Amino acid sequence: MNIRAIKAIAKKDLSSVTSNVQIFLPMIIVPLIFCVIFPATLILATRFTDLNQATNMEPILKILESLPEESTLAKDLASFTELNQKLIYLFLNYFFAPMFLLIPIMGASLVAANSFAGEKERRTLESLLFAPVDIFSLFFGKALAAFLLAIGLAIGGFILYGLTINILGYPLFNRAIFPQSNWLVLLIWVVPSFSILAILFNVAVSAKVKGFQEANQMSVFVVLPIVFLLISQILGAFIIDTKFLWLLGGGGLFISALALWRMVGYFDRNRLFESQIF
Amino acid sequence: MQQIIKAVDVYKSYHKEPVLKGLNLTVNKGQIVGLLGPNGAGKTTTVRLLNGVIGPDKGQLEVFGLTPEKSGDKIRSLCGVLTESAGLYPHLSGEQNLAFFGELYGVTKKEVRYDLLKDFGLLEHKDKKVGSYSTGMKKRLGIAKALLPSPELLFLDEPTTGLDPEGARDLLSYIEKLNKEKGVTILICTHILKQVEELCHRFLFLDSGRIIEEGTLEEIEAKYLKEFLVRVETDVSVSNISSSFQLITHTPGKLTFKLSNKSDIPILLRHLLEKGSVYSSEILGRDLETMYFKIREAGR
Repeated sequence: MNIRAIKAIAKKDLSSVTSNVQIFLPMIIVPLIFCVIFPATLILATRFTDLNQATNMEPILKILESLPEESTLAKDLASFTELNQKLIYLFLNYFFAPMFLLIPIMGASLVAANSFAGEKERRTLESLLFAPVDIFSLFFGKALAAFLLAIGLAIGGFILYGLTINILGYPLFNRAIFPQSNWLVLLIWVVPSFSILAILFNVAVSAKVKGFQEANQMSVFVVLPIVFLLISQILGAFIIDTKFLWLLGGGGLFISALALWRMVGYFDRNRLFESQIF
Repeated sequence: MQQIIKAVDVYKSYHKEPVLKGLNLTVNKGQIVGLLGPNGAGKTTTVRLLNGVIGPDKGQLEVFGLTPEKSGDKIRSLCGVLTESAGLYPHLSGEQNLAFFGELYGVTKKEVRYDLLKDFGLLEHKDKKVGSYSTGMKKRLGIAKALLPSPELLFLDEPTTGLDPEGARDLLSYIEKLNKEKGVTILICTHILKQVEELCHRFLFLDSGRIIEEGTLEEIEAKYLKEFLVRVETDVSVSNISSSFQLITHTPGKLTFKLSNKSDIPILLRHLLEKGSVYSSEILGRDLETMYFKIREAGR
């Protein structure tokens, strides 16, 4: 472990984020859409419509009815009198959670894809491998940059999301309804776990593909399970409560550990050099 | 003399394509050695193997008495390498690039960076992004980067490509100074023979993955120069010259003779001086390039 080199590599990779529009732009736009535009649209639309008149509400009402009475969510929902309140509460605190998870995953994927495949594309990987830095430190520095950025984006997104909900929702609730305990678990446990998973996936993909574009396209595969999670939840298959999130984060870490164990072979300078440079 | 680099019967192939086929070479401490050969001969592969970033399929390698495969980081910390594509980060400035690589090599002093930027005429461009540098500036920064760790051994892979004649001359004289003043051992891979002819102490001719000839220019000349073409600037007319000297061409004032021995040259000159004046004389075809073609021809 070469701490000085790890710091230098992480710093350099983070600085390359702002200089690449391809990476920088989605990192600004995606959190804005997910954390400001979506919740704001939902709250404003609900505030100014009478949902009791709206049609197609049955599936959601069914979910509300099917909740076990002793669950936190059922108790919370029972405290609201209006259907509008119940829906906003349900959507923003539960249904949007998987979508929020996409923000750090996207960030981690973009930075990781850029830092490994991009290094090869710019033909700088060679001079990096010629440096007297052990291969583990080299990988760790790069992964650290992606991880720090993912966590930064998640925290930034969390704050934006909270402000949007609590400010726009105040007239309806007369109190702050965000965050609930499940979001804290999401932020401190699931976000790091899934960021690590996304980074490892991108490292593995980058070692196989030719350039940043290709690596980036492959990272869709990390996003798919999250979309699946979102849809299953809306269909009422399960509710993302605290217990579920602890399990989800644990699962992510477990898969990461397995992946890391499988990837030990990549931590070989000669193999990496031959697969990447030639 | 202490051997710094040693390769014994080294084989290496990429994707089943053989690149090195029994490479044997040595480089002694304090020398500037030219590794010459056509594109694809295996020059870059040799540098990579010696730095331990790739491993040989067969054979032994030693750098500073260490095995590159086992002690790569130790070797790399003592070596400076200029790769063919300088390998710099375009989004960072010149100074930031040196600072970054300095961290990797454990050279964090600002003065070291500034001295190198100054030496290579880049001090006033230090804050510009490397992406906006010209090819020559990138190359110069690449060499500055290679010199960051004050290496004992310097590998330069095609150091002058992309440099204008002035830039190339400055670089070569810098390399010479580095060798003379600091005793840095230098291995230069190139196919631009003219530039390194006077710089290198020894030459290694690499062709199809093997060293086909090596030695000083004098040694190689003695081996391959079987006849001497001598051009003389003189006012002696052709009809006055003894027929024992084989005259090849003659233009007004300039005569070219073919001699089979170096020792025949003073005899010829004495003969000409008896008949008239001699202004200059030179042996033709003794430059590195001619040797290079003779060696490659002999190797076939």
